[in-house]
Amino acid sequence: MMIDALPLSVTLPLIGAFAVTVSPGHARGPGLLAALLTAASALSVTAAVWSDGVLRADLGGWGVPLGIALEADGLSAAFLAMANVVALAISVYAGGYFKQESARHFWPLWLLLWSALNGLFLATDLFNLYVTLELLGLSAAALGALTGTREAVAANLRYLLVGLLGSMSYLLGVALVYAAYGVLDIGLVAEAIEPGPIAWTAMALMIGGLILKAALFPMHFWLPPAHANAPAPVSAALSALVVKAAFYLALRLWLDVFAPVLNEAAANLLGTLGAAAVVWGSWRALRAERLKLLAAYSTVAQMGYLFIAFPLLVATPPGLARDNLLAAVVLLALTHGLAKAGLFLAAGMVQKTAGHDRIDDLGGAAQALPAATFAIGLAGVALIGLPPSGTFLAKWMMLEQAMILGLWWWLVVMMIGTLLAAAYIFRVLSRAFNREPTPYRFVNDARTELPALLLGLIATFGLGIAAQPLWVLLEQGAFG
Amino acid sequence: MIRPLEHIIIPLGLIAVGGLLGWSFFLAVTGEAGERLAAVALARVPDSGVSNPVTSVLLNFRAYDTLLELAVLLAALLGIWSLGAAAPGFQPAASVLDGMVNGFVPLLILSAGYMLWVGAYAPGGAFQAGALLGSAGVMLALAGHRNAGLPSEGRLRLLVALGVFVFAMTGLLLMVVGDGFLTYPPSLAKWLILLIETAATLSIGATLAAAYLGGRPAARPTTGETA
Repeated sequence: MMIDALPLSVTLPLIGAFAVTVSPGHARGPGLLAALLTAASALSVTAAVWSDGVLRADLGGWGVPLGIALEADGLSAAFLAMANVVALAISVYAGGYFKQESARHFWPLWLLLWSALNGLFLATDLFNLYVTLELLGLSAAALGALTGTREAVAANLRYLLVGLLGSMSYLLGVALVYAAYGVLDIGLVAEAIEPGPIAWTAMALMIGGLILKAALFPMHFWLPPAHANAPAPVSAALSALVVKAAFYLALRLWLDVFAPVLNEAAANLLGTLGAAAVVWGSWRALRAERLKLLAAYSTVAQMGYLFIAFPLLVATPPGLARDNLLAAVVLLALTHGLAKAGLFLAAGMVQKTAGHDRIDDLGGAAQALPAATFAIGLAGVALIGLPPSGTFLAKWMMLEQAMILGLWWWLVVMMIGTLLAAAYIFRVLSRAFNREPTPYRFVNDARTELPALLLGLIATFGLGIAAQPLWVLLEQGAFG
Repeated sequence: MIRPLEHIIIPLGLIAVGGLLGWSFFLAVTGEAGERLAAVALARVPDSGVSNPVTSVLLNFRAYDTLLELAVLLAALLGIWSLGAAAPGFQPAASVLDGMVNGFVPLLILSAGYMLWVGAYAPGGAFQAGALLGSAGVMLALAGHRNAGLPSEGRLRLLVALGVFVFAMTGLLLMVVGDGFLTYPPSLAKWLILLIETAATLSIGATLAAAYLGGRPAARPTTGETA
């Protein structure tokens, strides 16, 4: 008897999706069970990478280049752990959130999305990655439209089409790579690739498709309406995980596949777009009238920070400084995933209780929903980057490296973004309090408020104070 | 009046996309054709349990891709269902069309079975067989049959998810008995592939026909209709 947690993390949610598709009337129990088992299996992968190093599974026993392999190194294990903790919290929240009819549709699509996420983080085959991207994009767009309102359906149809365009662009890049080098495994492609028009075109197509999916400015236009109109647990998954998966893949290709053909111009272009995203996204978040729209624009801004790391990574010579920079970027992505999921879940609770999420009319939310407001505050601390959150540490290291390299303009952008983030978070918090005295109860609905609170706590305290393990994890194959 | 989006940005964008496509095609065609995987795959076809190279790639060498592709089909159908009920179907067909459909549908089902079986050693397989089954469903829908001849929602749900389930369970069971995920023992490979393909054919056929209806199947048949 031999259990391999790598394929298990992808297959368990598929089996779960079958169970909830067949018995839609009783989807919650089997859905939660599948969520629990999937998260356990994925976290065991992270634990195994942590203790034993890189894990690899040759599916079908053929080995590369003929077959497909799954691999977990430090980078994938870190994203996998974050995604599965967030997904588990979302599942618990969703168990209380969705009513009978929407629960029938939510659970199967949600488990398919989860399977695609785990498959994407573990994949090593360029074509297999395309299949996971398709599964991810389709299930995400369908979930986003679950509210059934006109705006939600329109926004998510646009999201679906943009996602398809991104996938097609990525696939065209894969086709070029295969035509030129005859292999699809990331490791084998990295060995074969050499600078030239084919490699540059493939890089532009693949990374271009992915930044469309990652909503990098100015390709972010689809994100705010799609994320703001989705049901709260889905918004959390879209903002925290789905765009993050596209970023992970861009980073993975950048580090592992296209390392020999990189140049500063491409990195500076990504960084410039990232800088524009930070300023524009934060500004629109500050001007947003609704809490969920604010959170969605804040995602645009936070994705910008992640892309600012590319020019810094290219400019830093290999060594300790570069390893620290890479870990800082990953830490930033993980913290944002947890914090943004927490923010959306809490916002959903506010919306459900108050019947709206207009920021100007949030008066009394703090008194009526202390736990949800506290979760918004905690997530806000992590989004601004106040100590002791993981964002603080990550931004600090990025700023320091930008200063050492003399690239001061990235520093200015990050400072502006941080100030704007502080402004939009405090705008929400200041509205949430009014003179109405005495909190009634701290926790009003444990199933929906506790997941948000826990995610906020991990983002603010867990990843900030205990960030050291991330470095240990990333030593498993991610540091160059 | 010149509207910048319609008259400048979109045309320029389309020209850029066209140029990119042409450039990629040029690169792919003019680049020296290196060693690709076809030779490696052809050499291993005898070990795969089937003699049709396409089937051995889809169901053995890269079976994991195919598993996820079945999940993509399932996600697409569930997405369609989440958007609402199907539009009311067509009027029942007049006798000529009805007679033709009644003749064609059994033939399509028979051909689907043949395609499924023949896929082991000649062009064919689950996707082709499923497409034939699906087209039988489309014909029934066009001739005014309620729900394209598909069963009630409960059984339909089982049918559309069956492919993913059988595929994933086969993979997991092989892992549990020690062969590794989706690693078929050579003596059983042919039969496991046939089992997976049979389930996949049913799922693909039902999914395509259900997707054609464009929404959740109606709950109960209305009166005065023959199935």
